[in-house]
Amino acid sequence: MRTVQTLDKILQQRIVVCVGTGGVGKTTLAAALALEASRRGQRAVVVTIDPARRLAGALGLQGLSAEPQSLPESTRAELGIGTTGALSAMMLDTQATFDGLVKKFTAEATTRKRILENPIYQHVSTTLAGSSEYAAMEIVFELLESSEFDLIVLDTPPAQNAVDFLDAPNRLLEFIESRLVRSLIQPALAAGRKGFRWLESPTRRMLDLLEGLVGIGFLRDLSEFLLAFESMADGFADRARRVRETLLGPDCAFLLITGASRQTAQNAVSFLDHLETQRIPLAGLLVNRMRLWPQGAPPGADHPPDPQDVKILSEALQAIHPTPKATDLANSAWAVASQYNAWVNQDEENVEPLRHRAKDRGLFFRCLSERDSDVHDAAGLRNLSDELFDSNLQDRRPS
Amino acid sequence: MVSLGVSAHSAQRLSVERSRRVLMSAEHSSSLFDRRIIVVTGKGGTGKTTVSAALGLAAAQQGLSTLIVEVGAFEQIPTLITGQRENPVGYRGRALRPRLRTMRIEPFAALAEYLGLQIGSQRLVERALRNRSLSQFLNGAPGWRELITLGKVWQLEQMQRSDGGPRYDLIILDAPATGHGLTFLDVPQVARAAVRSGPLARNAQRVEALIRDPERTHILPVSLAEELPVQETSELVERLRDKLKLQPDRIVVNAVAAPVPCSDPAELEKSLRSLSSPLPLRHLPQPGPLADAVAHLQARHHLNQGYLDQIADRTGLPLVVLPLLSQGVNGPNDLEILSAPWLERLRTAGAEPTGDCTE
Repeated sequence: MRTVQTLDKILQQRIVVCVGTGGVGKTTLAAALALEASRRGQRAVVVTIDPARRLAGALGLQGLSAEPQSLPESTRAELGIGTTGALSAMMLDTQATFDGLVKKFTAEATTRKRILENPIYQHVSTTLAGSSEYAAMEIVFELLESSEFDLIVLDTPPAQNAVDFLDAPNRLLEFIESRLVRSLIQPALAAGRKGFRWLESPTRRMLDLLEGLVGIGFLRDLSEFLLAFESMADGFADRARRVRETLLGPDCAFLLITGASRQTAQNAVSFLDHLETQRIPLAGLLVNRMRLWPQGAPPGADHPPDPQDVKILSEALQAIHPTPKATDLANSAWAVASQYNAWVNQDEENVEPLRHRAKDRGLFFRCLSERDSDVHDAAGLRNLSDELFDSNLQDRRPS
Repeated sequence: MVSLGVSAHSAQRLSVERSRRVLMSAEHSSSLFDRRIIVVTGKGGTGKTTVSAALGLAAAQQGLSTLIVEVGAFEQIPTLITGQRENPVGYRGRALRPRLRTMRIEPFAALAEYLGLQIGSQRLVERALRNRSLSQFLNGAPGWRELITLGKVWQLEQMQRSDGGPRYDLIILDAPATGHGLTFLDVPQVARAAVRSGPLARNAQRVEALIRDPERTHILPVSLAEELPVQETSELVERLRDKLKLQPDRIVVNAVAAPVPCSDPAELEKSLRSLSSPLPLRHLPQPGPLADAVAHLQARHHLNQGYLDQIADRTGLPLVVLPLLSQGVNGPNDLEILSAPWLERLRTAGAEPTGDCTE
């Protein structure tokens, strides 16, 4: 199994896939990775799942769309992207991707129209289990083919495990190619129940069951949709297979992004377990939004309150304040330190199992501090990227 | 867990007390527990599961026979409630406390049960579900998981005790994270429109009637006071109202940072920055990092307060504000902090923010 042990090496891959549960800042970190690559002279693109408006703003864009947009010159300068590097951003749009596929794989205009206007297609193309994952893979395929970018950073739909993301396209194909769906496609269905007769019995029983539940009218609509869709299935299958091969091949790295809260960290452990049982190689872990002591650990923060410390601080403060106020402030400082320390300790305890696992498996492990505010401008994104790649901050811990 | 001292805990307690007073002075509204079902919904990572557990605990303590329903692949509620590693309770469920039961609705188990009732032969159904062709179909087919899950909730709601009263006074559904396409709650409507006739259409209709009935069902969105959750929750509320005709009557905003435990954080920060380091401190951080910590806590608090105002403005709904617990949520004691008083009392849209730290 290959391992990519540093974050720097990650940027030399062709694709970086950011996986993890929702709400951990995956999209912003994906952008920060792509930014660093572009600052190092690469042509990078970040593909997001969310419309992420403020991120778009930070990149100097009005909004993200289904096509890669390159950044305006002024933002490039603000972000510190030199003349050789390039950064683009785009958003996954499942409906647009599917419509694009229909247009690509159906040569005939009438068939195309029939698919695009079928009510079941309109409802179902974006809600089939795995359709957004399939669309993401399709985007990756197109971006790889175009050779326009050196590095593709892909944000993924929030999932409880990365296997969902890799397997969803397969499940979608299995669905389309399943015997049950195939049998629904048979034109004989239009003739009603009798049409099922020729089928072998288990499948016929399934169809009887389905018909009993949903009625023949629905099955007919579905049949028409699937019949039209079927013409694309081979193209679909081929592309899904090739993208999966690329994603599991040597040019791609998976990054697990998580937060430091107890539940998020626990979910990340389950995620890791799952990756291992499925033999999906992971390059490393990023723990986002961790509460860390600014400028490193306080000396001996684990100790009980020390009146001597409060006294020293109070005396120092007396240089600028009258005594009662200085004492008050020193006591407040102690209270703040206690609260902050409780948080720092809690987060550290939460991520310890992840740190341990990373070390054991030779994965890189990186903690990023919780920031004062969300990233909403170019400066914020640049800071995040700086912190991400600051070698002095590798694997920080409040020892 | 080691900490700097007892003061961390008392500081937190203090801020909890303070916020509670603000909440109590705010406008009251009808109880969350006056209906049969609470659907806890929202963006991933906002703490829906924690809120569901806290609600369940509070309801059981008020004497209601309560069931919490999970739908995710990994069960979390039992461990949250007892504070210990619990074996999975699964589809059968388990009583964790007096009057408090939890279960996980596994779509395939629910489907088997449903088909068994429809067809009358559990054996036939089990054989059918082992069929590879059907399982490939089901793995890809959209919507049925949501529909069957809601159908099961409907059935649980209908269940009766021998004396004719409802088996469960309250069912709390920890719903899946909302996304960008169809949500969990859209499914019955879509299914009914697509299928039109047959038993499935009738079931979808019943489920839709249940979740739309304001006498029986609360839709409870959970958010964080941060950019994306506020954005997504506002859009969710809009879509619930416009498209599904569902009217949430409050929003839970979870993990809101308490004010800095001091009377004037700005002055504290300024004073600390004016000191020359290093001081011969043994266990306290140097003034520089301390000032940074003050600034950070203050910034997070202000950030949260700003987003509280924003979500209240955008949705026009009262907020239930839950505090960020520094120790995390690790068991019944922590859940109790989040429970009854918080969920019953509302911070109205225009209420005084909990942000001042004058004490």
